Amino acid sequence: MKPVRALAIVLGALLLTWLAQVAVGFWQVGRLEPVLNQENNLTEPPVPSGLAHTGARVFAAEGCLECHSLSVRGPAGSADLTRGWGQRRSVARDYLFREPALVGFARIGPDLSNIGARMPETEKLLQHLYDPRLLKKHSTCPSHPWLFLKRPAGPKTEPDAMKVSESGWQQVVPGYQAKALVSYLQSLNANYPLPEAPLK
Amino acid sequence: MSRITVPQGSSAALVLIVSSLVWSLLGTGLQLLANAQLLIPLLDRLIAVPWFGYGRLVAASQFLLSFGWLGSGLVGVLLILAPRFSGIAFRYGRLLFGGALLWQLAILGGFTQIMLEGPSGLLGLPQPRFVSVLLLVSFLILGTGLTRGLGRSWKSGPLLPRLYLLLGLLAFPLALGSAEILLRGSSAPGSVQILVQILWHSFSQHLWLAPLGLVLVFQLLPTLTGRAVSSLNLGLLAWVATCLLGGWLGTVRASDGPIPSWMQSAGVVSAILMGVVALGNGLLVQNLNEGRWEEIRRNVALRFISVGAWSYASAYALLAFLSLPWIRPVMAFTVAWSAFFEIFHFLFLGSVLAGAIYALLPVSREMGWPNSSALTWHFWCSVLGATMTASCLLLAGSFQGLALNDPGVPISTLASYLRPFLFVVIFSQAAWLVGQIAFSAVLFSSLLRLFPSAAPMAVFRNPTVVRPASVGHLHG
Repeated sequence: MKPVRALAIVLGALLLTWLAQVAVGFWQVGRLEPVLNQENNLTEPPVPSGLAHTGARVFAAEGCLECHSLSVRGPAGSADLTRGWGQRRSVARDYLFREPALVGFARIGPDLSNIGARMPETEKLLQHLYDPRLLKKHSTCPSHPWLFLKRPAGPKTEPDAMKVSESGWQQVVPGYQAKALVSYLQSLNANYPLPEAPLK
Repeated sequence: MSRITVPQGSSAALVLIVSSLVWSLLGTGLQLLANAQLLIPLLDRLIAVPWFGYGRLVAASQFLLSFGWLGSGLVGVLLILAPRFSGIAFRYGRLLFGGALLWQLAILGGFTQIMLEGPSGLLGLPQPRFVSVLLLVSFLILGTGLTRGLGRSWKSGPLLPRLYLLLGLLAFPLALGSAEILLRGSSAPGSVQILVQILWHSFSQHLWLAPLGLVLVFQLLPTLTGRAVSSLNLGLLAWVATCLLGGWLGTVRASDGPIPSWMQSAGVVSAILMGVVALGNGLLVQNLNEGRWEEIRRNVALRFISVGAWSYASAYALLAFLSLPWIRPVMAFTVAWSAFFEIFHFLFLGSVLAGAIYALLPVSREMGWPNSSALTWHFWCSVLGATMTASCLLLAGSFQGLALNDPGVPISTLASYLRPFLFVVIFSQAAWLVGQIAFSAVLFSSLLRLFPSAAPMAVFRNPTVVRPASVGHLHG
């Protein structure tokens, strides 16, 4: 085989693969637009807030994707919907405004695509982040105490101090990163119909 | 192996090889810590610092093992090997040395940044952008040097190693450059970013690392066995198929979800075909090794490379199995995929890399290997450790997949299914680490010439053979 022919085959194969996946992918899913929900007159998927956007980066930086996925499968061949992880399968349009676009390929813990709908309470989410064993005794999810501040308990309790069983002279207050992460988790709610994925 | 003194590239190669060993020890150590945390969740309360978090440890260890250990090591041994394809010695040795140092700087920067600031969350790209830029610049320098190994004329010398080298050299910069632009240049919407991440992951594993490993297999096995590849046409067919199919293999990891279904189907077809391709390459390896079992039993380099070549076929056979339409929905999102990567990284690439270091370093550094029991420790700990890890992960993944797809099993009990397997995995990974420590000890002692008696060819200790005669024979 001549070097030029080998070079042509390699370059051709690499470019073909790249074009087929990225260029055709761009043409197929990159041009998707949000759709108007006639019931509430809002566009879906919603654009996440700035705080949720920061929270997505905290989510990534804490390595949550090593155990949690962000993609619900349809009813054919999976139990995701039966488990209550969502009301429909995830589709490309759900990720339109996600920056960075996180998807995850591990499920040591549950899928979090709709955790905002399943666990909307801020206090519970914060408690889970501070110490998952406060909510579930045998949880294997790691705790993230560094996202919280410990302040001396004074005559006044901080308004956002958490209800955790610390010693009486300290109070635990969520830091900015913890608040951002909770905001991101609450924004994960795709329980709205899309043309290509109606609710079950 | 012919001896060509290549002082220009040997310092760069040494930096890359020695660093790769250090990164492998660190990466496996972090992997062990992460698994220990999963086994004993309270560990993270005892050491409550961000860098000890499970997610960061896993991301850092994967980065170190992919770019630090395998990337650095494979490029390092290729710097020794490439001039032997063409007989053209390297020029600009200082530039290559600078490139090698830059690669290590990038690994150090990426590791520090992941531990302190956390990974980016992008598949296969946990490092910050500046690290990717450093890796790209460094690879362009080292890769430009390696292109000399491709030679002016291909009429003489081995063809298959050159073809795989060409593939590896082109795939890495194309994929990393475009992934960085599209993922962190904010030029692609989120829905496309997922596709780009998967494409980058496929390219980095199947079109960069795997071809670099195959260069070593198809160059060193014929040299060490003294045979030529039995069917060049079969080899060429496998190479063309690898070029065409390798970039699609990442899409099989997704099941349903945001990736267009036609891409997932293409991935399934590619994975099954790649299984056939790998078996074709396995056949070539089998023909090279046929009847050489005594030599494989004795020669450390040959045994490592043979194990690596068989593991290559096993890894892609497993990938094809995991991609079968009735298996994929069950095994998606499970640790069975980690079993594939364990075979791919540790048994295929790791073994081939170790074998290449045993075969090539004496050629480059005018050094020898001792007839030490550490060689035996290295082989058995590495192979048994990685095999046990992969088997456990595959079994654990099967249970995990069945549990995930049974809505009657609470998700909170999933970890308890994995725990017994995890215990064995930690033990097996520790065994692999012991093997790697033995390898490091032999390598550093040999480089520092601490052994009184050493031979250019590493041989296992054989109790039935009188030692001085064996070593003397090799010196001859």
